[in-house]
Amino acid sequence: MNGLKKIFKSVSCPALFPTPYSLFPGCLDTVRSVAAETFRESVKNRFFTIFAVFAACAIYASLLVGVMAVDEEARVLSDLGLGLMELMTLAYALFHAAMAIPREVETKTIYLVFSRPVSRPAYLLGKASGLYLLSAFMLSVMAAIHLSLMALRGFPPGLVYFHILACIWLKVIIITSLALFISLFSTSPVSTMVISGIIWTLGHFTPEARFLVEKTAGFSGRLLKGAAWLIPDLQLYNLRDAPLAAAPGVWFQFAYAALWALGSYGAAVLLFKKKEF
Amino acid sequence: MTIVSFNGVGKIYRRRGLGSSSQVVALTDFTLDIEKGEILGLLGLNGAGKTTVMKLLTGLLFPTTGGVSVFGLDPREPQAKNSIGFLPELPYFSPHVTAASALRYYGRLSGMPPRAIEAALPAVIEKVGLVPHKAKKISEFSKGMLQRLGLAQAVLHSPELLVLDEPVSGLDPLAIHDMRALISRLQAEGRTIFLSSHSISELEKICDRVIIMVRGRQARAVKREEWEMTSGGLEALFVEAVTSGARD
Repeated sequence: MNGLKKIFKSVSCPALFPTPYSLFPGCLDTVRSVAAETFRESVKNRFFTIFAVFAACAIYASLLVGVMAVDEEARVLSDLGLGLMELMTLAYALFHAAMAIPREVETKTIYLVFSRPVSRPAYLLGKASGLYLLSAFMLSVMAAIHLSLMALRGFPPGLVYFHILACIWLKVIIITSLALFISLFSTSPVSTMVISGIIWTLGHFTPEARFLVEKTAGFSGRLLKGAAWLIPDLQLYNLRDAPLAAAPGVWFQFAYAALWALGSYGAAVLLFKKKEF
Repeated sequence: MTIVSFNGVGKIYRRRGLGSSSQVVALTDFTLDIEKGEILGLLGLNGAGKTTVMKLLTGLLFPTTGGVSVFGLDPREPQAKNSIGFLPELPYFSPHVTAASALRYYGRLSGMPPRAIEAALPAVIEKVGLVPHKAKKISEFSKGMLQRLGLAQAVLHSPELLVLDEPVSGLDPLAIHDMRALISRLQAEGRTIFLSSHSISELEKICDRVIIMVRGRQARAVKREEWEMTSGGLEALFVEAVTSGARD
């Protein structure tokens, strides 16, 4: 048992993934502290402006569709609100994921962090967790506003509404994890946001892209096939376009998001462990 | 007793671009021992390698050649980091929180239990003279107050060694006087202090020993008795070291 502990400790903090012995108890405290700080910092940054914009857009749109959509008001109101929520959460989470580490390097706050006994994998995990928490919180508050509005118009939501909310959150988790990884080597936060935005867009066309790749032969076909694996299939989370029966199971959706988040995290740890400040 | 050793340390910064790469030699064959309980100063012109030395000591940079040891350990080891308090030049803190809140965060990162943080906070805030400002948000802090807060985060976990990069940079004369008194008090508590500065007169007032750096090399090590016996003091020795270093 002692030998096993020694092995775990020897590969703990500087290693690729935090092991149970590197995460408990010191590293877990670090993860919690960094996550809480990331969340607090992001919330203080024009957070409520976003909600005000969302509430204003949603109320305005509901009044407008009430006039225009006639029989389809419930569907239009629900789709419009969910679409707005997705875009706002994506924009805000992406902005913070792209800035999270570069801003700490730029302001030299990172000196105060890494001159302490803080493990780099735990720090990255804390940053990612803080961002996931941020998007969950944003979605919850916006959903509360949206649901109140729908209740006011007399349209109670079904269970599928909450499934869609979970799907939005999982998509945002995937793209946030990728953005955090990209921010470690990209030249600026803007380029991180652009690259992540492109991945987000391509991710919604993965089935079409795979179909086209299948049609391409030779070396370029093989190259494209490989590249297709680097884009997450975000259509798995699109319940609005697909009939519900054809949608993948909830567990598969969670597992797929976890795999992408874990993969991005592993790649980020690899890059980050040799970074100098 | 030696607590820090630099052994023939070299540091080269490499920058890779698309199809090209460049390198800057920041430190060459740097050897230094820091003794327990002393105040050691690092003096040099801009770009002499002072900050590089401090970052190597705190594990923020890794040496290209040679080795650094802190209390016999690699500076990247958690135990080594636990015994160091670092004040970077012009430290930045989140402007939305109070000093106590920022200190709690850094205390947690240092691995301090919440009770130990709460027990240490009042004494540390008092020590750095932030008691009248403890309820203010950091956005309302002046440069001098930020520097005091920087020092507070460095001493919160009671480290044995304090590494202070330009601690009096940008401060007004009164704040410099307070900072000097604070550093002397910390030494009286038995801490070892390693600081860098552009200000010859500051180092002259508080240091036991000064290392003069020229172009990434240690040009000279001077003890207090030596500069006190030299006409022109530390300034004359510094000018001599820099001019002869520039000729080499």
